[in-house]
Amino acid sequence: MVRLTRSPLLWVSLLVVLAAALLPLWVSAYLLGVLTAAYYFGVFAMAWDLLFGFAGEVNFGPTFLIGVGAYTAAILNGQQGVPLPLCVIAGAGAALLGGMLLAVPALRLRGPYFGLVTLVAVLLLQNAIVIFAHVTGGEIGMTVPDVLSIDASTNYWIALGFLVVCAILLFGLSRSSVGLILQASGQDAIEAEALGFNVTKHKIAAFCISAVFSGTAGAMLIFYMGTASVDTVIDIAIGVQVIIAAVLGGRRTILGAVLGAVFLILATEFLRPLGQLNTFVVSAVALAVILFFPDGLLGYALHRGERE
Amino acid sequence: MKALQILIDGFAISALYGLGAVGFTLIFGVSGVLNLAHGGLMVVAALTGWLAAGELGLGTVLGTLVGILAGLVAAYATYAIVVRPIQRSRAIRPEEMEIFVLTGTLLWGIMIQVGMGYLFSDNPVTMRPLLPGVLTLGGVRTPVNEIMIAALCWISLGLMWLLVNRTRAGKALLAASMNPRGLTLLGYELSHIYLLVWTIYGLLAGTAGVLLASFLGVSTANAGQLTASAFSIVILGGLGSVSGSLIAAYVVGYLETATAYLIAPTLRPIPALILLVLVIYVRPQGLLGRR
Amino acid sequence: MNVPTHRANHRGRTAAALLLTAALGLGPGAARADEPIKIGVIGEESSVAGASITKAAALAAEDINAHGGVNGRKVEVITYDDHSSAADGVRAFQRAVHQDKVAAVVASYISEVALAIEPWSARLHVPYITPGASSNDISKHVHDDYDHYKYAFHGWLTSAFIAQSICDFSHDLLVGQFHMKTAAVMSEDAAWTTPLDAQYLSCLPKAGLQVLDHIRFNPDTTDFTPIFNQIESKHPDVIITGISHVGVQPTVQWHDQQVPIPMAGQSSQATTSTFWKDTNGATEGVLTATAAAPGVALTPSTEPFTELYTKRYGVSPAYDGYSTYDMIHILAEAIQRAGSTDPDKMVTALEQTDHVGTVGRVQFYGRDSEYTHALKYGPGLVTGVVIQWQNGKQICVWPTAKANGKITFPTFVRLPKQASAQ
Repeated sequence: MVRLTRSPLLWVSLLVVLAAALLPLWVSAYLLGVLTAAYYFGVFAMAWDLLFGFAGEVNFGPTFLIGVGAYTAAILNGQQGVPLPLCVIAGAGAALLGGMLLAVPALRLRGPYFGLVTLVAVLLLQNAIVIFAHVTGGEIGMTVPDVLSIDASTNYWIALGFLVVCAILLFGLSRSSVGLILQASGQDAIEAEALGFNVTKHKIAAFCISAVFSGTAGAMLIFYMGTASVDTVIDIAIGVQVIIAAVLGGRRTILGAVLGAVFLILATEFLRPLGQLNTFVVSAVALAVILFFPDGLLGYALHRGERE
Repeated sequence: MKALQILIDGFAISALYGLGAVGFTLIFGVSGVLNLAHGGLMVVAALTGWLAAGELGLGTVLGTLVGILAGLVAAYATYAIVVRPIQRSRAIRPEEMEIFVLTGTLLWGIMIQVGMGYLFSDNPVTMRPLLPGVLTLGGVRTPVNEIMIAALCWISLGLMWLLVNRTRAGKALLAASMNPRGLTLLGYELSHIYLLVWTIYGLLAGTAGVLLASFLGVSTANAGQLTASAFSIVILGGLGSVSGSLIAAYVVGYLETATAYLIAPTLRPIPALILLVLVIYVRPQGLLGRR
Repeated sequence: MNVPTHRANHRGRTAAALLLTAALGLGPGAARADEPIKIGVIGEESSVAGASITKAAALAAEDINAHGGVNGRKVEVITYDDHSSAADGVRAFQRAVHQDKVAAVVASYISEVALAIEPWSARLHVPYITPGASSNDISKHVHDDYDHYKYAFHGWLTSAFIAQSICDFSHDLLVGQFHMKTAAVMSEDAAWTTPLDAQYLSCLPKAGLQVLDHIRFNPDTTDFTPIFNQIESKHPDVIITGISHVGVQPTVQWHDQQVPIPMAGQSSQATTSTFWKDTNGATEGVLTATAAAPGVALTPSTEPFTELYTKRYGVSPAYDGYSTYDMIHILAEAIQRAGSTDPDKMVTALEQTDHVGTVGRVQFYGRDSEYTHALKYGPGLVTGVVIQWQNGKQICVWPTAKANGKITFPTFVRLPKQASAQ
């Protein structure tokens, strides 16, 4: 799997990024906006894939980490007027803290319990937001005074740049020795332990890395949209979309997650004329992919390449 | 006075919670499936029951039965379309099976919620009370319907208990939850067992959905909340343990009711959530959990 | 119950997109005289009140075009569904402006969505009217930062005036006819009810009702028994409500539990015609403020609109259906007055609005009022009406000049002993 030829992937990726960077010249502002959101989603999905694909831990509540990062940034900016860049950093830090708080007890659990605990964490965060509505804006959300930019192209490039940086970091991590250990821990923890690696420490590290990326991306997303709400960053439905994106794109490929995210968001957009049913169709398609192509789009393509 | 009110109100809502949770834990205990479309099934039952009773003019009793049947059909659909294909898929590694089933049922749940929302809008619907009117017991005014619902919940649970503990098929079910392989060695067809457990689950979820519509009202927007509440209770009680779920349902039901009456209605969900957090940290397998 | 989702102008939208591409291709000097004027309308298709917005908008556009359009140009309504989500609402707004190039946007009955869209209307300089939201903040933002927020208009009564209308109704009928003395305020914890409740607490005593209890409940509440219990223990003569996100459940439970206290106030769901069926008739006797109702001739255009809407869609309009119909007309008139779709000119023209619509005589407050760009409240302008559900029908009971029936309560409701049988 690691033998996967690196150079063609590198060149293809470079071409794709170049094409993406030039899109604003031809594409409407609205479509740029859709892609911007998709890029942030791509980061969410990549962070999730690191945890699942490599550490083997199913995080059913990625929106816990995203939400903590997003809301911290939003509250600091909206209530205290803290400047935007500091808010993003604070969001990342808060997500890191949240990740550690969740990881330490949760990793002691096996099987479905870990997944359930992550799901419960999302519920708790949701309830906390609603209860402290005077600070957080409650169910309906809060607006933040600062946005990254009003210009669609600028927002797009910021998102693209952010995505590329995160992709490089996360992909590099997955290919590094740390990544290999994580993979080993994910696939066979006992063997990894036997080889002398502190599996729990590595998994917590994976959780924290996932948290930092999720939280930062969450904060950036807030400052792109100008609002923070339970619907946009915390709802289970968002978490589901993140998971679907990663699974659709291909688990354990990191880059596949980006493909999945872009595909998912674009599909939802283009199915808009169906009205409410677009969610139905997208979920149905995702279900079909899970049933028939569990390796995902990129995974399928890569494995086919391997078998030849 | 208030104590009696809390006692009665709490009893009814706990019974309803219990009915939903027991189905959820049963399906996990026997077939290893965490059905995240659980709330969706209840919503299907409730909305179909409402439609049959009102629009199609079948009246409350028939409408209720139609609703329960709809819940059963939805359960079968979940098994046939989502769960079984994933469990049988050769392309998925066994250790990843659970996450795929979870994701699959989650997606299916979303499809149900959106589909129902499209057909029915997200307005809550209520079933007419099976028995209208109020009863005053010891100074506490309670709708007769509420008492009926609590009774119906317990009758359903009782029937299920009888089935599982007194019939051969039921005992096979219990055995399957403990040792599926052993059961096949004894000559039982596991697929029949699974069919049975999904049937029971469908009936339980359907009944819970229709009764909830009658007691409080149900809308497609509730689907997620219903699933979340069911598995919170099940975690508290212990995954796979039916009695654990029932006890946990009553604990949660009374905690919520007492909080709403004695502290403030707005803080209703808090104590149960705090309890959940404590359980996860201190005793993750729940009260009576195994596996 | 199957309310057909109104999907307006899909072919129109594709045609508009093609037209736009052609126009862009031809360069900025291309002639615009034949192009329709586009208005973006954002509703919530899965909710009865939200779906009313897009339906009414389509009727308004038809009406305008049938009378010659605006300066010879047709009005085209492009609809979006925000799924009751603030984020989707913002996205729909951005799409309307950037992609579909609308001249103005009419959006939402949910205050939170309206408040999320408002800063974007300021940032992108696009006139924006909400036909159904009610939070005071919508107009407060305009008052506090006029230069940025002037593009936003509040096309329905603010919470403060909704509460005031209910206080006026209480004074005239609850106190005047039924000699009630005390009340309990029960509202959902949401953006629009904070100013509503504040106004209730201030104007109810002045109307003659002492407030004994004030409950704000979580909008996700499904079990209202403890709440009714708490209210009942204080023995008020009436429950004054502020509910929109919930409606069916508290009403049905009120009925099933035979709570002996009448309910009046603002219950947005109760303003829709399907509410009787949704609650299986449990709403009998419930009083709610609304814009208008079938059989009520607020102005000469009210009943014709009600009939047209009901005939077309099979249900009567929700309160925001009336206001949306008026707002689209008002936008068209403003563009006509301004002679262009330039945002700043439109704002000036909108401020001069004096339009007799279906909800009454519509004018907007100016910069000197704290409710800048909100709907003017008062007799002769817009007051809304209060209806009571009786035997499956909405009977208007207030203002008494427009009433077509009298208030009667279900038998389980206990009234003060000195109620006069007028």
